[in-house]
Amino acid sequence: MVLCTYVMYYNAQSTKYKAQSPMKITRPPIRLFCILCAFFWPITAGGQQALRWGADPSGGAPYVFTDPANPDRYIGYEKEMVDALARAMGRRAEFVPSDWETLVPSLQRGSFDVIVNGLEPTGDRAQQILFSNPYYIFQLQLTVRRDDDRIKSIDDCKNRMVGTLGNTAASRLLQQQGIPFRTYADPVGAYRDLELKRIDAVVMDVPAEAFYARSNSKLKPAGPPFTRGLYVIGLRKDDAALKAEVDSAINKIIFDGTLETILKKWGLWNDAQVEFQAPIRAGTATTKVEEYTPTTVSFNWAEALWRLTRAAAVTVGIALGSMVIAVVLGLPLAVGQWKGPAWLRLFCTLYVEFFRGTPVLVQLLFLYFGLPAFGIAMPGWLTALVGLGLNYAAYESQVYRAALEAIPLGQWEAAYSLGMSPLLAFRRIILPQAFRIALPPMTNDFVSLFKDTSVAFAISVWELATAYRELANASGQFLLLGLLVSAFYLAMSLPMAHLARGLERRLRDRALERVVEQEAAA
Amino acid sequence: MIRVTGLRKRFGDNEILKGIDFEVPPQTVLGVIGASGSGKSTLLRCLNGLETINGGTIECDNVRLDASLSHSDYRRRVRDLRLKVGTVFQHFYLFPHLSVVGNIIEAPVQVLRTPKKKAETEAYELLESVGMKQAARRYPGSLSGGEQQRVAIARALAMHPALLLLDEPTSALDPRRINSLRALLRTFVDRGHTMIIISHSMRFLSGVADNVLFMDGGLVVEHGPTDEVMNSPKDARTKDFLTQAE
Repeated sequence: MVLCTYVMYYNAQSTKYKAQSPMKITRPPIRLFCILCAFFWPITAGGQQALRWGADPSGGAPYVFTDPANPDRYIGYEKEMVDALARAMGRRAEFVPSDWETLVPSLQRGSFDVIVNGLEPTGDRAQQILFSNPYYIFQLQLTVRRDDDRIKSIDDCKNRMVGTLGNTAASRLLQQQGIPFRTYADPVGAYRDLELKRIDAVVMDVPAEAFYARSNSKLKPAGPPFTRGLYVIGLRKDDAALKAEVDSAINKIIFDGTLETILKKWGLWNDAQVEFQAPIRAGTATTKVEEYTPTTVSFNWAEALWRLTRAAAVTVGIALGSMVIAVVLGLPLAVGQWKGPAWLRLFCTLYVEFFRGTPVLVQLLFLYFGLPAFGIAMPGWLTALVGLGLNYAAYESQVYRAALEAIPLGQWEAAYSLGMSPLLAFRRIILPQAFRIALPPMTNDFVSLFKDTSVAFAISVWELATAYRELANASGQFLLLGLLVSAFYLAMSLPMAHLARGLERRLRDRALERVVEQEAAA
Repeated sequence: MIRVTGLRKRFGDNEILKGIDFEVPPQTVLGVIGASGSGKSTLLRCLNGLETINGGTIECDNVRLDASLSHSDYRRRVRDLRLKVGTVFQHFYLFPHLSVVGNIIEAPVQVLRTPKKKAETEAYELLESVGMKQAARRYPGSLSGGEQQRVAIARALAMHPALLLLDEPTSALDPRRINSLRALLRTFVDRGHTMIIISHSMRFLSGVADNVLFMDGGLVVEHGPTDEVMNSPKDARTKDFLTQAE
């Protein structure tokens, strides 16, 4: 329990920086940390009296998010609603910060008891978890840049890139209509990329749109809100008793007007809510989940394979591109650090220490979210390519430098004494020998670069790791898809390792073969 | 062919060469002897421009390297000097990533811009003359010490140097090979080459050097025809060295 309290405290402490920082640099590590916390959360914590609820508080306004005025606590309309529900159930609400994409698996593994996070009752989720009665009717809102007159409704987006949250009703709608879309972990990132022209429009649930986009002078809503869907509370399949308890609590807070008060306070009360609550408050009926379900996409394996293949192509592209940067840029860095004048040596050393000493994830987030402040807004795939390239150039330069320094001084002197200039000696005599020495560690680095492309998921690049997360979340097939994705990675990295080993052997054996020949002849 | 006057070299406060003067006439071999630390290796490194000289001049063919030259002139002149002086290092330093013939044509093709075909023809002739033609396509890693030395000699001669320097050429050889090396070097002298050979082995030098120069403490102690220096040394230090040597 002491550990548990400490972890909660730590969590609250680390989350407060995120809310205030516009750069979002620290988010994913913290998110990971939250997931880890959820993992180690004692299942029995709080006993019978606790209602442990999971939601993603990062960029989570107005559902549940860190209070900017008091970063030690969470606020949001759903936070207030869960408190009201818990009171109605005679329990104590206990918030478990989690990650949106993995809410369902986290619920299933017992990290918390209910999901309350604007969850839509979709067909594929229905196979994995139970739904409570609905508590809110949401609509979707399309947002574009203020100066963009091309897009008036979702129908104008057929050939444009649309941003949305992953694994939501909005993303399913886009998928169903064949509109190209990119998924984000939170609304902030999506609207920022819209501003930076990385995407052309954003579709978001009205509550989030109202909070994050309505006040942004560079953006405007395109057309009225459309479609209607439900928010429900998610529960484990075998938790029917808790579902009954939750359902009656929802009815109670609707009936006595508590929910109306909360929604009004947050500016979320509208005609749709009036219509929805009327029969319940008249005591006549509760809304059936099925009536409102807007978009149900069942998992399509053929399409999943196709998407994985495309993601693999993106992964290969990023890996190869950043390899080229690393190989090319690594050499001047190595030579500069090795033989350059003092200022160049200092620069190269600083470069290497910076890129080796900070996590590549942080570097990518900086390039993606920080650089636009200087007017450089690269698309995600290019950011990943350049970021990984710059990072690995630091590693390659050290491999090169070690290899170059391993060439005996006598090789230089022999070249000089034959009248070669330093440049010629370097190019024709030193470099080819150093290359052989560098090849094995280079191969090693490139296999690991290959896997490191997976950090690109943090900046919404659709590569293999992102694909795995999304498809597995959508289908619940973590095991099968995991094996499949691993097979994809291996199918790409093994041939590369094999190729490099072959090259290595050819270079090394050239001398050895001659010895064998010679001895055979003797 | 080469004339050295007042040559000085120091490392920090430590003066290794304290004013060396000598001359090597064309088509002759000068043997340089002396104890370790006498400065003979430094002398060799000065002659092929690997060390910057602090005083005096080195004249080879029509290239004159002078310690008083400006930095940029000096650097240019060193390049010229290196084209005139070929070096066979004690440890040969063949290029391991190139075949034997590749080692030999590398500098002619890259530095002198000799057409590759012509350079290869010349390389095969040189390999023939050092008795290594059959190994042309092999790599240095598979050659014995003696074979590597012959390739290194061919590599140096491929640049048509006016002067050939050899540093301790006998250190890697057994007695039988020493004899054949002596014969080989003599044939090159007969064809018009000039050489300076640094060696510990008096027996080797007596068969190949026309003149011998004995160094001690960074100075030339004795310099004269091989027989004279060997058989009737004038200086006590030379006598000492010769009796201790062999």
